[in-house]
Amino acid sequence: MATELLHRSREEFLAALAAAGPDPEAVEAVRVRFAGRRSGLLRDLEEKLKTLPREEKPAYGKALNELKKLVEERLTAAAEAASQAKFSSGLDVTLPGRRPLVGSLHPVTLVRQEIESIFLRMGYSVADGPEIEDDWHNFEALNMPPDHPARDAQDTFYLAGGMVLRTHTSPVQVRTMESQRPPIRLLIPGRVYRRDSDLRHSPMFHQVECLVVDQGITFGHLKGTLEAFLHGLFDPSLAVRFRPSFFPFTEPSAEVDITCVLCRGKGCAMCSGSGWIEILGSGMVDPRVFKACGIDAARYTGFAFGLGLDRVAVLKYRLPDLRLLFGGDERFLRQFGMGVPS
Amino acid sequence: MKLSLAWLRDHLEGDTPATELAGRLTAVGMNVELREPVPSDEVWDVDITANRPDAMNHRGMAREAAAAGCGQLRPIEVLVPEGGVAAAELAGLEVEDTQSCPRYCARVIRGVKVGPSPAWLAERLSRCGVRPINNVVDATNYVLLDVGQPLHAFDLRFLAGRKIRVRRGTTGERMTTLDGVERLLTSEDVVIADAEKAVALAGIMGGADSEIRFDTTEVLVESAFFDPILVRRTARRLGLATEASRRFERGTDRAMARVGADLAAELIVRLAGGEVAAGVLDSSPTLPAPHPVALDRQRLCTFVGCDIPSSFVLPLLAALGCEPLVAGDQITCVSPTWRVDLELAEDLYEEVLRHFGYDRVPSALPVASTEPGKRLGSWPLTDRARGALVLAGLAEAVTYAFVSAEQDVATVGSPLAQRGEPIGLANPLSSRLAVMRRTILAGLAEAAAGNLRRGAQAVMLGEVGRVFFGTAGRPREEERLALVVAGRLGGWDRQSQADFLDLKGIVEAVLDQLGLSEATWRPATAAVLAPGDAAMIVVDGQEVGIAGRLADAVVAGVESPLPLWVAEIDLGCVAAAPQPTMRPIPRFPAVEADLTIRHARSLSYAELVSAIHKASPPWLDDVQPVVQYAGEGVAAGELKTTVRLVYRLADRSLTQDEVNQAHFALMEELARRLAVSFQ
Repeated sequence: MATELLHRSREEFLAALAAAGPDPEAVEAVRVRFAGRRSGLLRDLEEKLKTLPREEKPAYGKALNELKKLVEERLTAAAEAASQAKFSSGLDVTLPGRRPLVGSLHPVTLVRQEIESIFLRMGYSVADGPEIEDDWHNFEALNMPPDHPARDAQDTFYLAGGMVLRTHTSPVQVRTMESQRPPIRLLIPGRVYRRDSDLRHSPMFHQVECLVVDQGITFGHLKGTLEAFLHGLFDPSLAVRFRPSFFPFTEPSAEVDITCVLCRGKGCAMCSGSGWIEILGSGMVDPRVFKACGIDAARYTGFAFGLGLDRVAVLKYRLPDLRLLFGGDERFLRQFGMGVPS
Repeated sequence: MKLSLAWLRDHLEGDTPATELAGRLTAVGMNVELREPVPSDEVWDVDITANRPDAMNHRGMAREAAAAGCGQLRPIEVLVPEGGVAAAELAGLEVEDTQSCPRYCARVIRGVKVGPSPAWLAERLSRCGVRPINNVVDATNYVLLDVGQPLHAFDLRFLAGRKIRVRRGTTGERMTTLDGVERLLTSEDVVIADAEKAVALAGIMGGADSEIRFDTTEVLVESAFFDPILVRRTARRLGLATEASRRFERGTDRAMARVGADLAAELIVRLAGGEVAAGVLDSSPTLPAPHPVALDRQRLCTFVGCDIPSSFVLPLLAALGCEPLVAGDQITCVSPTWRVDLELAEDLYEEVLRHFGYDRVPSALPVASTEPGKRLGSWPLTDRARGALVLAGLAEAVTYAFVSAEQDVATVGSPLAQRGEPIGLANPLSSRLAVMRRTILAGLAEAAAGNLRRGAQAVMLGEVGRVFFGTAGRPREEERLALVVAGRLGGWDRQSQADFLDLKGIVEAVLDQLGLSEATWRPATAAVLAPGDAAMIVVDGQEVGIAGRLADAVVAGVESPLPLWVAEIDLGCVAAAPQPTMRPIPRFPAVEADLTIRHARSLSYAELVSAIHKASPPWLDDVQPVVQYAGEGVAAGELKTTVRLVYRLADRSLTQDEVNQAHFALMEELARRLAVSFQ
């Protein structure tokens, strides 16, 4: 029956209008679809009137007029509601809100806390120590006697009276071993100083070192711990490579590289095309260091490693220049919030 | 160090492809950083660690390559064609200080003709970064790069008394080195002298007077072993680092002193003609007994964490020149004369391990007790302070711990900066970074000013870090928190310039987090702060912090376009974070009553509130500020303060009568005690 068609069209219209809600554009779309002058559904239904047998025409015509009236009324009402929704009491919900100022941690703090959390979960404690050090703790106990060539590599800031600004956090290792019996599992983050300044060096920067001393600690343990740490800090799919190197306080020593975090090993400017990034120095604690700290090297072995927190921040946050970290520019500092919980 | 691949191959039997050779060297710790192709050769830049002076030459590197499985090291062949006259008749040698010069060898060559070196030799030197000079000097440099023995050629004509004396310098003695610089010597320096004067700085640089010239015919070639520490001290004091000093200060091969003299003599005759005098002047021909090092293979494997078989360990140690002698798992080695870094068993572990391959050692995690890790030292405190900064909406900054002397002086007006003397750096990087900070304010002010100059509308920066004081004993380090607030605060449509109460609110929020809610604020005079806009923060009678507007002079110093509101707190007063326990939430409603009091400006808000509490029953729960007014209708020197009094009992509702009574009693009592009136 033709009037049934009208009934179905009515239901269809009401459903479409309900779906459009108070959105002016959606309401307009419904108008075009049903009441459009060229191709609206109502127009089709009007055309259909002409094709009907005469006896059906009056009933159909009456029902069609009712439908046309309903469509017109409902569309007007819906359009008004939609514009009301936009401007009711003058509220424009797209205006920016009044934000409370939200604080942010420094990228180096974020990186440090992330590393601390990895090691705290593995049962390491986190220690600190003085930033102004004596020669013994910064150099001599670490197998760098006076006139040792390795001292050249650590451009040192000297203070009156023979004290130095610590060039690494290693003196805290010494202080710990001097005062505490093994087993030792320690993480030492902190601020350190070297007489150097360029795109990749700042005269003040941050290190984190790790020290493990116990019976039966092996080179394999150093490797396993470093892999667990670097996979936790960056990405479990990164490759970790160990290269022989030299540090006066470890024997053997290893330089550790990871797959370049930027190009994933393809080679790019950050890794100078090698696909690898030098990330840290490590090794087994030199027995001469144990001896200086009063630990029995015949009984205990240990490993240690250290890396620059600023460098990790550079890699993680893709910083073009290390010195951004110390410039106090809020446009930079406020980008990192509270970091990503680990 | 730059090496020529072709030269390296001169010492190696076998034809390992270049790429494999570079790869193996890198794998064992001789990092081949750069390979540059040149006609019929390659120049390699190899990073040699400070403990391996023995590898700072082609032969040493070839030995390492041979040990790494890239062929066999060729023996050194040297045959010096000697003439009839004995060297001892032509020159004298006297080593006065055998400690600073354990061995001195010299060869004498007569009848040389000085001229340019042949192309092949000049090219090799150039490729390794050494400038060719003439055939005699080039021969000595060639031997240096070849086998690592630094040499020096003297023109024997100019050695007074035809004599070499190795002695200490005398204070005030002067000599001019090859580079034309006159050097003032001390008794710390070791010099080569003739019968009259110093003619060379031992192990560092020769003298200008006795250098080889175009007309030199008689040459004395020095090939010695000097004490590394003394060479290093003199080189450092004079700021003179040479190819020779870099090797001597790390340690050269005592046995090579003799071989080097022979190689040089042979090469000089080949290049410049002449005749080598018979014999060598040698101050100490006998080498000290080699240093034995014992190695237990089982212990090595335990140390590494995996098995490394004898079939690997023994050939390797032999290739490295350690002459291993085996008795079961016990291996006795000697430390080769060219190795300065092999003293302990662990040193040999490293040799074995780096050649075995770090990557072949299986990774494992250490098994340890399951005690939880703790955060020790000041970390819990300083991170709590950082958290407080963030909660108060500040961005954490890190500024340099050193400031300029001017900044130190500009900010010493803070009482918190006066707890000790400034600590200056002996060798600062620049005058801007010359003194350890005694307050964080200078660095933060500079950072804030930078943001404002870049057009920031508002600045809210905080920092947690140390300050440093010179004291009679060890320098003192204090943990501090500081912050700076400036510019327009508030939402985008409701902004106002930061003022003291903005600062104080932020500082109070920080103090709350640090468990210092009970801190009291007093007006203060501190030169670092602007007069009238300065407060002292007091906890338990201790002055633990300052807050206020930075003094105009300091603001001008950092070129800040806007006033800077700052605070600094000594974190030493913060107790360990207590376990918070819940305060009961009131069960009964409060009755609030506003009271407007007209009073003299000299009566502070804190005094007013304190007086209100004294004159009220204990169930006056809280006093809150509502509005403060001065101006029309209020006499000069007076203020109208409206406060909201919140009355509340813990165990029942108050009646309006009770409140009214208390309220009127309060007004009476206030009027009686203080010069105030009510609206």
